[in-house]
Amino acid sequence: MNLPITTRYALRSLLRHKRRTFLSVLGIGVGCGICLFLVSFIKGEGDMMMRAAAESGVGHLRVAPEEWLHAQEMNLRLDNWGALLGMIGEMQHVRVATPHARTDALLAMGTRTAGVILTGVDPAAEPAINRLVRAVTEGEYLDAGRRGEVVLGKGIARRLGIGVSDDLMVTASGKGGEMRGAMLRVRGIVASGSQMLDNGLCQVLLADLEEISGYRGAAEISILLDNYERIDETASALRERLGEDAVVVTWQEIVPELAAGVEVDETWTNLVTAVVVSVVFLGIASAQLAAVLERRKEFAVLSAIGMKGHRLVRVMLAEGVILGGAGALASLLLATPFVYAISTHGIDFSNMYGDADMGISDILLDPVIYGDAGWWLLPLAFGLSLGATMLSSLYPAWYALSVTPSEALRVEQ
Amino acid sequence: MDNDILIRAENITKVYRAGNVEAQALRGVTLDVPAGDFLAIVGPSGSGKTTFLNLVGALDSPSSGTLSVFGEDLAHMSKSKRADLRLRHLGFVFQAYNLVPVLTARENVEFVLELQGMGSERAARAREVLLQLGLAEFADRRPNELSGGQQQRVAVARAVASRPRLILADEPTANLDGENAEILIEMMRTLNRDEGTTFVFSTHDSRVVRHADRVVTLEDGTVTRDERRHGELEAPSA
Repeated sequence: MNLPITTRYALRSLLRHKRRTFLSVLGIGVGCGICLFLVSFIKGEGDMMMRAAAESGVGHLRVAPEEWLHAQEMNLRLDNWGALLGMIGEMQHVRVATPHARTDALLAMGTRTAGVILTGVDPAAEPAINRLVRAVTEGEYLDAGRRGEVVLGKGIARRLGIGVSDDLMVTASGKGGEMRGAMLRVRGIVASGSQMLDNGLCQVLLADLEEISGYRGAAEISILLDNYERIDETASALRERLGEDAVVVTWQEIVPELAAGVEVDETWTNLVTAVVVSVVFLGIASAQLAAVLERRKEFAVLSAIGMKGHRLVRVMLAEGVILGGAGALASLLLATPFVYAISTHGIDFSNMYGDADMGISDILLDPVIYGDAGWWLLPLAFGLSLGATMLSSLYPAWYALSVTPSEALRVEQ
Repeated sequence: MDNDILIRAENITKVYRAGNVEAQALRGVTLDVPAGDFLAIVGPSGSGKTTFLNLVGALDSPSSGTLSVFGEDLAHMSKSKRADLRLRHLGFVFQAYNLVPVLTARENVEFVLELQGMGSERAARAREVLLQLGLAEFADRRPNELSGGQQQRVAVARAVASRPRLILADEPTANLDGENAEILIEMMRTLNRDEGTTFVFSTHDSRVVRHADRVVTLEDGTVTRDERRHGELEAPSA
């Protein structure tokens, strides 16, 4: 390989202290490898939270009446929701679009009562967007052809002391403030594993909810996409098609507390990454500076034979690039098995959480977190490693530049 | 400027300071070196020989006085221009050889040519110089695989590869045995004679002094004697 002499000089300079260079590369590899693992885990956790939110009935996107942004009241309804649903269902990247409507209600069985938020759904589409209702452990889920039935969380059923096929009384406040009531038969009971969610889940057909509440139509259309990376693109396309009466909101706006959690985790990861990269940076700077101090006389000689400052800086940066490249490969080598393991087998936090509730804001989180793996590891590894080594080469390079040739030659002769 | 004068030193002084301590290395040296000279600077240790060579080589600046090399006043030269002067017009040979240890003999010679911006022809030029100095068979050896004499010859090859007009050598034979010192001096003499390269070297070695056309004696930072070997004795500087 016919490399320029300057590059050969940089490469061989690193090899003159093989052990030091090996330890430097290992240090970069371990540091950046930890960062890769952390980022993989946090990306995976973020994906899990978003997926959990999206598949707990929230969807990636929601179309709601314009007033929802200010009031977020349950009695708001979409105009012409049927046509909207048809239009959304035909859009690119939309996997499922389904209507929802809600009302506050009181369930009663004998002397026992339970306050709930009653949700009206389309039973044909709901299981595709809400994994909670896939966990019907007793009885069955709702059927579009069977009116007057309800699916409850296990906690509500226990509180009311009822089981499948039992009848219960539901009362709600109507549109004009009047009390409205109906009898519902329990069709199924859901045990999601989250006490919080099992104490809140209560679904009926949308048509039944219209009758119980007196409010006609759907309050929102929840949309699940085939790829979460299409959220912004699809939201923009939707906004263009919707009139002024409806708005598009993202899952982050619907469950801001969960989005904030993801953001906090990402911030922590960035902080830890910055700390690790700083430690790597200082370690490499120290090793590079030691190498420069050892080569003071050599730099003086190079200066004497006419090497200009910018070339000297280039040599130091070339050493940084070589070290950074090797460090990036080492970090990939060290991190990939772990990233592969967490992305395929995940990390199961069930034991750590014990009986802790995995529900948050009507969303069921997974106790198993799968790391994210992909080609993004490559640019991240090289970016972190090269960034750290290039930066850490600057001070030694400046020091090398400041060597006065006559002094260095005189002192060391 | 007189076109034949490569170095013109007028009453130059050099003072080194370390805290409050001052050491005067040169005390008003005046000297002209014409092109083609083979000049030896002699004198006891600490007399200012190396300091003078460092100043002429633009590695350092005089504390006072005027120093011109190739007609250019070094005091008015930027760091970059000084580096350029060293790269294109000067060659250095050091007492301790100072080859780059991680490069082979050929690469050490090629390095200077690459710094000059020479393209693919630099390899041929390096081979030619090494051949000329009897080092062809050692071209791919690193400095630690060469004897002291061979290393110093590589250092000379590095110095002459870019065909500089002036070569400065600081005690070039100090670490060599008699035979190698003779070979080296003969080599330098040949380059001086055949290529017209001007040599200015400091030495303690009487075997080397014997070959010089001109011998300048420095004592305590002052020129005390300036002798041409064909009998003419130049007046030492005031």
